[in-house]
Amino acid sequence: MSAKSSAGRKNRAALLICAAAALAIAVLMCLPLVRFTTSVYTKRSANTFVGDEKYEAALAEAQAAKAEFEADGSEVTIEESVTERVNSKGETTSMVAFEVRQTVKRSGWDFLAAGFAPATVMRVLVLAVALSLVLALLGLRGTMDTLHRDLSGAAVNLRAAACVCGAAAILMAPVFSMVSTYTFSRQVGLIIGGNAVSGADALLERMDAFLYGGTAGERITDLLGGLSEQVTPVLLLMLLALCVLLGGLIVIWRGGLAKTLSRAGLYLFVIVVSVLILYPFYVMLITAFRSNAETTDMYFLHMLPTRWIWSNLKDIVDRGVLRFLLNSIMLSTGATVIAMLCGIPAAYAMARMNFKGKKIFLGFVIMSQMFSPVVLLVGISQLMNTLHLNDTIIGLMLINAAFNQAFAIWLLRGTFVSISPEMEQAACIDGCSTVGALVNILLPMAAPGIVTTLIFVFINSWNEYTISTVLISTPTNKPITVGITQFSSFNMIEWQYLFAAALLATIPVVILFMCIEKHLAAGLTSGGVKG
Amino acid sequence: MKKIATLLLAVLLLVTCVGFGLAEDITLDVIICQYGPNTNDWFTGTGMDGSNFVTKFEEANPGIKLNLEVVSWNDVYTVVSTRISNNNAPDILNIDTFADYANEGLLLPVADYCPEELYNDFFPSFIEQSVIDGVCWAVPDLASARALYYNVDMLEEAGVEVPTTWAELEDVCQALLDVYGGEVYPWGIDMTTDEGQAAFAYYAWGNNGGFVDENGEWAVNCDANVEAVEYAIGLYNQGFTNPNPATQTRYDLQDMFGAGKLAMVIAPNSLPTYIADKGYSGVNYAVADIPHNEGATSSSVGVMDRIMAFKDDSAPDQAARNEAIGKFLTFFYDPENYVGWVSMEDFLPAVNSAVAALVEANPSFEAWLNVLDGCQFYPTAKAEWIDVKQGVTSAEQNALTGGDVKTLLDALQAQITK
Amino acid sequence: MNSILVRHKWEPYVWLLPSILLMTIFVVFPIGIVFKLAFSEISKAGIVGGFVGLQNFKAAVSAPVFGTVMINTLVWVVSVVGLSTLIGFVIAMVLNQEFFGRKLARSIVVFPWATSLVIQASIWNYIIKFEYGNLNNVLLNMGIIKQAINWRATYQIEFMWECGVGIFVTIPFVTFCVLSGLQSIDAAYYEAATVDGATFWQKLFHVTIPLVRPSLTVSTVLNVIYVFNSFPIIYTITKGAPANKTDTLITYLYMLAFYDQQKGPATALSVIGFIILCIVAGAYMMISMRKEDEA
Repeated sequence: MSAKSSAGRKNRAALLICAAAALAIAVLMCLPLVRFTTSVYTKRSANTFVGDEKYEAALAEAQAAKAEFEADGSEVTIEESVTERVNSKGETTSMVAFEVRQTVKRSGWDFLAAGFAPATVMRVLVLAVALSLVLALLGLRGTMDTLHRDLSGAAVNLRAAACVCGAAAILMAPVFSMVSTYTFSRQVGLIIGGNAVSGADALLERMDAFLYGGTAGERITDLLGGLSEQVTPVLLLMLLALCVLLGGLIVIWRGGLAKTLSRAGLYLFVIVVSVLILYPFYVMLITAFRSNAETTDMYFLHMLPTRWIWSNLKDIVDRGVLRFLLNSIMLSTGATVIAMLCGIPAAYAMARMNFKGKKIFLGFVIMSQMFSPVVLLVGISQLMNTLHLNDTIIGLMLINAAFNQAFAIWLLRGTFVSISPEMEQAACIDGCSTVGALVNILLPMAAPGIVTTLIFVFINSWNEYTISTVLISTPTNKPITVGITQFSSFNMIEWQYLFAAALLATIPVVILFMCIEKHLAAGLTSGGVKG
Repeated sequence: MKKIATLLLAVLLLVTCVGFGLAEDITLDVIICQYGPNTNDWFTGTGMDGSNFVTKFEEANPGIKLNLEVVSWNDVYTVVSTRISNNNAPDILNIDTFADYANEGLLLPVADYCPEELYNDFFPSFIEQSVIDGVCWAVPDLASARALYYNVDMLEEAGVEVPTTWAELEDVCQALLDVYGGEVYPWGIDMTTDEGQAAFAYYAWGNNGGFVDENGEWAVNCDANVEAVEYAIGLYNQGFTNPNPATQTRYDLQDMFGAGKLAMVIAPNSLPTYIADKGYSGVNYAVADIPHNEGATSSSVGVMDRIMAFKDDSAPDQAARNEAIGKFLTFFYDPENYVGWVSMEDFLPAVNSAVAALVEANPSFEAWLNVLDGCQFYPTAKAEWIDVKQGVTSAEQNALTGGDVKTLLDALQAQITK
Repeated sequence: MNSILVRHKWEPYVWLLPSILLMTIFVVFPIGIVFKLAFSEISKAGIVGGFVGLQNFKAAVSAPVFGTVMINTLVWVVSVVGLSTLIGFVIAMVLNQEFFGRKLARSIVVFPWATSLVIQASIWNYIIKFEYGNLNNVLLNMGIIKQAINWRATYQIEFMWECGVGIFVTIPFVTFCVLSGLQSIDAAYYEAATVDGATFWQKLFHVTIPLVRPSLTVSTVLNVIYVFNSFPIIYTITKGAPANKTDTLITYLYMLAFYDQQKGPATALSVIGFIILCIVAGAYMMISMRKEDEA
């Protein structure tokens, strides 16, 4: 009984808070939400110094204009600016400018009636708040005192829906700020600057109606030229009220805040991280299919290419990218195979056998990683000359395999150590050879770890650039990393081809990742990376 | 492991056998720098009327094989110097510098392989640039000339004429700044690691200064140069230029110019093609001389790249090798091939025989050829050129971040003349 | 106990032989050549001359920018390894929770790995361009900013971007190393800690961190080496400009060798870098392994 009434108390308090928050939002909607300042009149006077006759005349003119606007009941200020400079002949010149600025404030309710993007966002916000309250009430109807675990499915769903609406309303607050900045700054700027914006005329008409009550008419482009838009702190207060509202709704839904919030935080974190990580890939993707001109468009108004130029793919294929890709696949596969053939026995010995010099060997392995291939160019190239492996993919395979030995041995050893040796020991007693024990017993068990190692080595070889640049001189032997340098020539960087080729080079690896994600995680889990 | 050793041995044997098998043929290793998007295609792909240079050359010259590689400018120094360190220099190299190779005795004198007729075909003023102590070590493959490009509409809007002097330039920049606010950069400066020497030349030569004095001795810290660099840095400090001269490359500047974000820029003769290729349609531009200081003369900046042949003492038949190199040059400079290449790359030619055909194809070439006549070139024949090239760039970049120009150039002068 | 029967004393060495041969031929031999070159005279064109003692080292160390470059290298390695370890650790902790879409999230986290450093660096170089860079484009189009921002206003900021890209591409590796460590922790430890009334932080410092330390040690040592030797990011974005102020040791010596044609000092620098790495990585391994033993 006491638990029941405590649930009721909680629900009532939460509902009260929700109502208060909604009321606060309604009040805040009446306050000025956005401040627009436009330059309505400018008086420039050249060769004018502060205080002289021309200055006084200009000032009088500006003040007259101000009075005229004030008569309409608008809020008007005069801004004065003086630019003095010495020209190349050594004379000092001065220019005075008076700018009459009119400030217009618009509240949330004003926006509701207007017909453009920020207004739509405002409508969604108000609607979401109203809906969330209605849903919460419906969800509470007749179950005000019921414990959360006893609630019927319908009531829980209604309460959850109320939360979703509340969250949507919260989301709308920053979106409103962004959209109004976009509309009144970016779009207006582009229209004024003479760049094409679809539906520009209709937009200007609406803005005229919204800001000047339709009085600006033809002058609207001039007026908007000096427009500055600023969202007032009222929006922040609104956001705060919305958060309180959502808090109340969550309490009604779950009976408590902490767990839901931490869960939401987790998802938020994952989403933010994912977006950040995917961002460069998004850039790569859209740039790969833009036209040459669009890649460096400085007034680009779209998040996607205006036209997807699929022929970019065909162009790079014509310029040999498939061949480079094939070379890269051969090179990486070969390097991986060699690295594994040499690495598995070594790791096996390291994991399963006791011998003198084990630590020395580990040190040797680490040391071998400490020189960047860039530094070793001369030596490697000399070696390849001696071995007559210059300009061959086999040479590159061996180099890459060697440079990945440390990694391979380290990973494989960790995997092997984590697997109990009992089965091999038993097999050996039964007369199985060491090689047999390794191949038939250990390797199948260590499969995840081996897959992980394969990928690491494959990717590292796939991405190698500097050594290939120097070693390979026959065009048909070039791996993709070197092949794509042809898209940044002395005369031009062809961003679209560069990124299209990069995309082609990325896809196989990403597919590889997707296919073996399971193994990757599992492989590392089985003690893969351990000291 | 045995298997790998066997494999290695087998590969070794195979390569040796192949090596002996081809002994009668001469194989020339050629490195060409990548100038434009189509360079690679022209030399090794299908860019030459469905065929390519290598195939055509090998058809025309049986017994000579080309192992031709097109390398990007970003990597070519790395590739070449690594190969030289390993005594594996290419036979024929296309690059900008040559003095170090010549001074260290790596190059063949041009007279050893270049047919007389072809040699006389080069513009004499170009050939001069590759002579050290009376011996010519390389032949020019192409050149470009730099001039001032300006946005006609913007200058008109600001009510100013094209600047010819530095003082006028500052006034024009100020006028553009007044009219456009921050929307347009009046003046483009490229002091990046690849092009800093060009920026130095634009201003130093426009102030009667330069890399060397009248005796041909290094004089990077002369007063005229200090004034010139200070002037250029001053333009940046007054906010007249693009915001990041140390990292904004010529591509960035050309794109800004094409998009109407930059009003004036010094650029090579290939800029119109760049603008057309990129599809910038809204820009109305014209060409003028590079502005100079009052009392100095304007001087166009010419940039030239070269082809050179390396010695190879291991070649069994030196005479045949020289002849093969000569054949390569003859084939390359044959107007039938060369004209197509130069116009594709949009550079200026280095041989007389190509002029007629090029002017016919593109009348604007003539004006550029005249510009080229009055061009000054970098002192690339001097041994310290590389140090100077990197040094002036570094000095400019230091000055951009607040360093004192005089001190920086003094230090550079001391370093190269020590 | 963990070992199997070895019939002959020489047998382990046979198992190691292929690996040792491969590394000796293709890694140790070139390293030997670098050491030889560091004490030789190398001409501008690249011809290797005779023994000159420590002359190359003197020239390398006395260059005026040497100090700047070393400081940059320190900032670069510490910030990239430090922050990517920290962020990677946090991401791994999160990815170790059960939640809807975890598999997808894990695949996404390794994405930066799928593209080569050169390409990643090119993309970021394109993204942060002031005039037509994608970052300004996206932010303007989303209405988050009103005016395009010059993301590369000063070289210090450019260097921060370079560090940021370095962190970005290093995170996947750390995340996976830590994740593997986390997954191998026995849930019983946490249960015990919870019974004892341990807070989140207490569990973190007394259970989680000690148990993933082996994984962290490996990833940190390898990272220090890789990041120290990482070259494409800085080379693509600034090429060390202005005047070597954004160079690290490796990009500086590359420019020194192939742009300035001073291969002797450049090779000497690479040997100096090698020695520093040996000391740092060795010291770190010793310290952390000792801690492990104590724990």
